[in-house]
Amino acid sequence: MVKSKNISRKIGFYALVFFIVLFAIFPFIQMVSMSLKYQWDWGNPSLIPTQINIEAYKELLNIGQAEKNIPDSIKDLLDNTPDLTKDQRKAIIDKYKDSGNVFPFLKYFGNSLVLSLTAAFLSLCLSIFGAYSFSRLKYSGQSTIQRGVLFVYMFGGILLLIPLYKMASNLGLLSSQTGTFIALLVIYLVQTLPVSLYMLGNFFRTIPYSIEEAAMIEGSSRLGTIVRIIIPLSISSIVTVFIYSFMIAWNEYLYASIFLKGYTDIYTLPMGLRSLFVSKNAIWDRIMAASMLTAMPVIALFMTIQKNLVGGLSSGGVKG
Amino acid sequence: MNNTRKQLDRAQRESILGWGLILPAATIIGLLVLYPIIYNIYLSFFDTSLSGNNTFIGLRNYENVLFDPEFWKAVWTTLIYVVFTTVGTTVFGLIVALVMNKEFPLRGLVRSLLLLPYVAPVISVVFAWKFIFDPVNGLFMDLTVEKLGIFTERFNLIGTPSAAIWVTIIFSIWRNFPFTYLMILSRLQAIDKNLYEAADIDGCGGWSKFRFITLPEVYFVVGSIVLLRVIWNFNKFEDIFLLADNVEVLSVYTYFKAFTGSMEMGQGSSLAVIQFVLLIGFIIYYVKKVLKW
Repeated sequence: MVKSKNISRKIGFYALVFFIVLFAIFPFIQMVSMSLKYQWDWGNPSLIPTQINIEAYKELLNIGQAEKNIPDSIKDLLDNTPDLTKDQRKAIIDKYKDSGNVFPFLKYFGNSLVLSLTAAFLSLCLSIFGAYSFSRLKYSGQSTIQRGVLFVYMFGGILLLIPLYKMASNLGLLSSQTGTFIALLVIYLVQTLPVSLYMLGNFFRTIPYSIEEAAMIEGSSRLGTIVRIIIPLSISSIVTVFIYSFMIAWNEYLYASIFLKGYTDIYTLPMGLRSLFVSKNAIWDRIMAASMLTAMPVIALFMTIQKNLVGGLSSGGVKG
Repeated sequence: MNNTRKQLDRAQRESILGWGLILPAATIIGLLVLYPIIYNIYLSFFDTSLSGNNTFIGLRNYENVLFDPEFWKAVWTTLIYVVFTTVGTTVFGLIVALVMNKEFPLRGLVRSLLLLPYVAPVISVVFAWKFIFDPVNGLFMDLTVEKLGIFTERFNLIGTPSAAIWVTIIFSIWRNFPFTYLMILSRLQAIDKNLYEAADIDGCGGWSKFRFITLPEVYFVVGSIVLLRVIWNFNKFEDIFLLADNVEVLSVYTYFKAFTGSMEMGQGSSLAVIQFVLLIGFIIYYVKKVLKW
C-alpha cells in the first residue's frame, strides 16, 4: 500500500517536472521547427518538419544568394566559357542579383553588435571605478550615492523616453545618422550603468580589505590596487556584468523604435526583425530563422556564465 | 597632533579620490536620468509642438489626460496585467523552486533549460508566441478547435484585445518565472534541515511543514520579489507591445499618445509623471505594510 502510494507520487513528481520543462522550452522548439519548414508545411501541427528547409538561414546569412536567381542557361554559359574574365563574370552575376527583396540581416546584426559591445564596454569602465568608489572608500556623500544608484535603477524605459527624445532632438542629434547612433549609444550606456554599478559594488564588498592593505603597505597607490588587485580578483564578476550590460543593449527595442525611425541603415536587430514581421506576410520561416540567430549569441554567452548567474541575480543583476 | 593631521589628510585624500572615481558615472546619470526626470515634469505643463515651440498651459495636460476615458481604461488594463503577472509568476516560481529543491536525475540539464525563457531576447521569442496563437497555422487553434473542440471556429486570439491581455500575462509569467524560482530556491536551500526533522518528530504532515516552516522562511524573499516584479511589470513595454500592441497598458498608451498621430508629447509627459507617482505611492505603501521596514 505504502509502496504504491510512493510510486504514484513519484510519477506525479516527474510529470510535474516534465510539464515545467515543456512549458519553458516549447516556444523554442516551435521556433526551431518553423525555421526549418517549407511553406506548404506550415499548417501541419507536427513539430517535426516533413522535409528540412534551410533556405531561410542561407538567405539571412547571405550564403549562396548571388547565384540563386540565375537561370540555368546562363549558369551553363558561365561554366562552359572559361575565357571570361573575372569582371565579366561578376557583371553577368550582378545582373541577376535580387537586391530589393533581401533582408539585410547581417547588417542589422553588425549594428547591434557594435552598439551593444561599445555601450557595455564603456559602462563597465565607468562602473568599475564608480563602484570601487562607493563600495570601498569612505567619504561624506558616499551613502547618498549608494542609495541614489538604487533609486536610478528603478527608472528607465517609458518614463524617460519623452524627455530624452526631446533633449536629443533639441541638440540636433537626430537630424543625422551619426548623431542618432551616438544618441542611442549614450542612452544604452546610461541604461546599463546603474545595474553595473550596483552589481560590481556588491561584488567588490566581498573582497577582504586586508589584501588591499597589504598591497598599499608595499607602496601601491589606490589606483594601482584597483588595477592590480581588485580587477584580477573579480574578473569573473566583471565578465558577468559585461554580459548583462551587453544583453540589455542587445534586447532594447523601445528607444530604438523612436530614435531610429527613418534611418534603416543603422537599424538594430530588434528593429529589423519587427520591420520584417510587419512589412510582409507569410514569411514565418525567415522570421523564425532570424529569431534563432538573434537569440543564439545571448544564449551562448549566458550558458558560459551559468555558474555565476545565480549569484549575479541575487546581487541585483537583473533588469525587467 | 602631527598624527591627527596626517589622518585628516588621509581622509581628505580618500574623499577626493572617492568623488573623482564616481564623478564620470555620476555626471552621466545626472545628465541623462535626473535631469530628464525634471525636464519631463517641466514638459508636462507645456503644449509641445514638433517645431520645438512650447507654450505654457498650466495643468491642462493633466486635465486632458484625467478626463479621458481611454486613460482610465489603460489604468485598469495595467492593474489587471500587473496583478495577474505578479501573482502568477510568484506562485509558479514558488512551485518550480519546491520541485527543483528535490534531487532527481538530470537536474542540472533541467536547470539550464529552465533558464532559456529568461535569457533569450524578447524580440526573438515573441514571434514564436505569435505563431502559436496564429489563427491559420498556429498550434493553439489547432488544439482548441480541431482536437478538443472548445471553440467552434478559428479566430485571431492576439487580434482581440480582451483575449490578448491573457496571452501577454502568460507570456510574462513564462519569461519571468526563472528569476523568481532561482531567488526562492537559493533561500530554500539555506533553511535549517533540523527544523524539518523536528517537525517530523512532532508528526507534522507535508502541508503543515510547508505552511509553518517553508512559508515563513521564504516570506521576505517572496515579498521583495513581488515588489520588484510590480515595479518592473508596471513600467513594462516591450514584452507587451511586441507581442500584442493592442493591449494598451499605461506605457503602451503613453507611447502611442506621444509618438503617433498628433504626437502629444506634453500629455505624454504628464502621463509619465502620473505613472511615476502611482508607482512611488505603491512602493511606499508596500514597503511599510508588507515588508514592515
